[in-house]
Amino acid sequence: MTTSGISRRGALRMFGIGALGVAGAGVLGACAPSGASTSSNGGDTKSKDFDFTSWSLNEEAAKPSIEKIIAAWEKSENSKIRAVSYPYNEYLSQLTLKLGGGETTGAVHLDIAWLAAVAQMGKLADLGSAAMKGGYTNVALDSGMYDGKQYGLPWNTGSIGVIANSKLLEKAGIKKHPTTVEEFEDALRELKGLGGGVVPYAAATKVAQLKDIFPWMQTFGCTLLEENKVTIGDDASIDAVTWYKKLHDEKLIAADVDRFDARALFGQGKAAFYDDAIIGKGVTAAQSKDKTLADAMQPMKRPVLRAGDTPQALLWGGVIAVVKGKGQDAATEFALHTTSDRATTTEYFAARALPPSTTAGLADPKVAQDTFTTEWTEKITDTATGSPFWQFARNAQIEEAVAKQVQAVLVGKSKPKEAMKKAAEEVTDLIKR
Amino acid sequence: MSTAAPPQKAAPHRERTGGRLSNGAFALLLTAPGLALFATIIIYPLVSALFTGFFKQDLRLPGREFVGLDNFTYWLDGDFLTILKQTLVFTVGATIVPFVVGFALALALNSGLKGSGFLRGLFLFPWVIPGVVVSFLWMWIFNANYGVLNGILMKAGIIEESVSWLGQPGTAMLAVIVTKTWASFPWMMVMLLAGLQTVPKELHEAASMDGAGSIRRFFAVTWPQVRGVASIVLLLEFIWNFQHFDTIYVLTGGGPAGATETFATAVYQTAFKGFDIGRATALGGLWMLLLLVLVAVYLRITERKGDAR
Repeated sequence: MTTSGISRRGALRMFGIGALGVAGAGVLGACAPSGASTSSNGGDTKSKDFDFTSWSLNEEAAKPSIEKIIAAWEKSENSKIRAVSYPYNEYLSQLTLKLGGGETTGAVHLDIAWLAAVAQMGKLADLGSAAMKGGYTNVALDSGMYDGKQYGLPWNTGSIGVIANSKLLEKAGIKKHPTTVEEFEDALRELKGLGGGVVPYAAATKVAQLKDIFPWMQTFGCTLLEENKVTIGDDASIDAVTWYKKLHDEKLIAADVDRFDARALFGQGKAAFYDDAIIGKGVTAAQSKDKTLADAMQPMKRPVLRAGDTPQALLWGGVIAVVKGKGQDAATEFALHTTSDRATTTEYFAARALPPSTTAGLADPKVAQDTFTTEWTEKITDTATGSPFWQFARNAQIEEAVAKQVQAVLVGKSKPKEAMKKAAEEVTDLIKR
Repeated sequence: MSTAAPPQKAAPHRERTGGRLSNGAFALLLTAPGLALFATIIIYPLVSALFTGFFKQDLRLPGREFVGLDNFTYWLDGDFLTILKQTLVFTVGATIVPFVVGFALALALNSGLKGSGFLRGLFLFPWVIPGVVVSFLWMWIFNANYGVLNGILMKAGIIEESVSWLGQPGTAMLAVIVTKTWASFPWMMVMLLAGLQTVPKELHEAASMDGAGSIRRFFAVTWPQVRGVASIVLLLEFIWNFQHFDTIYVLTGGGPAGATETFATAVYQTAFKGFDIGRATALGGLWMLLLLVLVAVYLRITERKGDAR
């Protein structure tokens, strides 16, 4: 029977066709080209109001300090800053999409590892003249440069290294930090013996932070890249991954861990070592119930393969870049103020334990006399190097490609040799594309 | 003699009279705005995206390069079959398990159970929670190092060491299916309960009088009556799961080592993490072809049901 000229069969058929249309659009519409351009994102460059995009505004430990900086600027300049944030692990992709679509304007917080990828979009302003006024250290300035231009004003410059929990080490009878890989393994076994669910080394095992494998590969002698030739896949990288797998199988490192899990485990007193940037002290101690944990956190030189080798560490830091277009001038002034004003950077250091990037800021007694910061610089930052893959627009994909292969080894889906061979092929393809 | 006038033939339907629109033209005029909107927001992106599959294009950068079928062969020579297999495992699991759970609960609620009204509301609870929230809840439950599930199992003495539910290929897909089941079974339960409530009680009474037991009554009376609803529910859920994204992405992101990678996560990762829009749309195109098959099956089934009436 039909009513209103539409049979039930017809209605169902229409429903099916509608479902197909929506499904098709969902599948493919999302992939429609964005029409990215390399021009300005539009708007009045003289506008006093602008956006500030930062992943730190999404983190409880960091949010109040940054909001304070924003509020102070708004008050003094009688302007309005719109704060925008995405979680760190989603930040680059979200920012890229918004930037490409012309939705992001103003000041943008960037990890130094992402600068090349974002700068290549052609949306960032050259901050060369502003950088001259900041009094930044040379190393810091370099971290904000790409292709000879100053795209970012350095906010913090440091490194990613190993942090130890001295209380757990003491409990396990470990008197001094292990210096070689062999000593490190012994220490991990001692710590495992403590029981109680202790994860001796909360190393990254999730793809999001498995880029932490790079310093270990370098520890074993792999250079990662030599004159645009990928060296991942050599014996040293295979040895490093084999060793990592051994730690995994002996449960000296845990499965399913990223930076945030590692901080949580360390904060609960369940991890003795983990990899983090210098920022880790402030974040991890703030989220721990143990109010004495901060005192027990010690920066440690990454163990080396043979005594006398140089400990490996990855440079780490943040810069503030400015998008061409609306509020560009005010955003540049804001970036300069936030990264170089002595009172602002010192107060930010006091709140977050993040050392500034200016010579004056580093010389401030509050910074210079901070033991953790000084030790961190001596033990970790002094030998830290940037990743050779940062120069490529597809750095994030390169890191992910290697991470996925390492994870495949950890979960037993692949052997170290074949995984590293595949990683090398994928990285080579990504560099060429 | 009178001559009766021959009956007049009905005037032939005229397509256009005196500037008036025919029925067909009028219908077309009415649907034109809708069709224009459909063409703009569905057809154009669809065709544009299909077209992009033949280009090497980075989402961040202007310009693109024609590469023919390269993007398609990249998938077909590479991970396509693995992704298809994993998509099917997820789709079948996340369709069958909630169906069984939903049907069992629908039968229980239809049996006149005390407090069934309250229970019906309670069981709907997971359905009203947004999918991403459900996924985050289960992510914490399954967490290897401080998850509730490991805590309970260890306290009960079932496991001695924590299990990485989301970090092992064998258990990750299971965890994803369990999570999706929790979110999906209420909808299936409601649909099946509605179907069950249309079964006349007299049929059951008559079958009982003929000596049929509960199992016999289920297969001889209940199932034939709800089979139509069940098949539609199963097929729709299958189609939705074939496209499902949020649970998998939040819980595992397609990992570990690609063990839970489905078409949805692979397209997302390629487009929005790898910014490789050419390869992403190529995979999207292949995925849509498979969806077309499913929709054709759906149409065939609904057509058959229509014929049966």
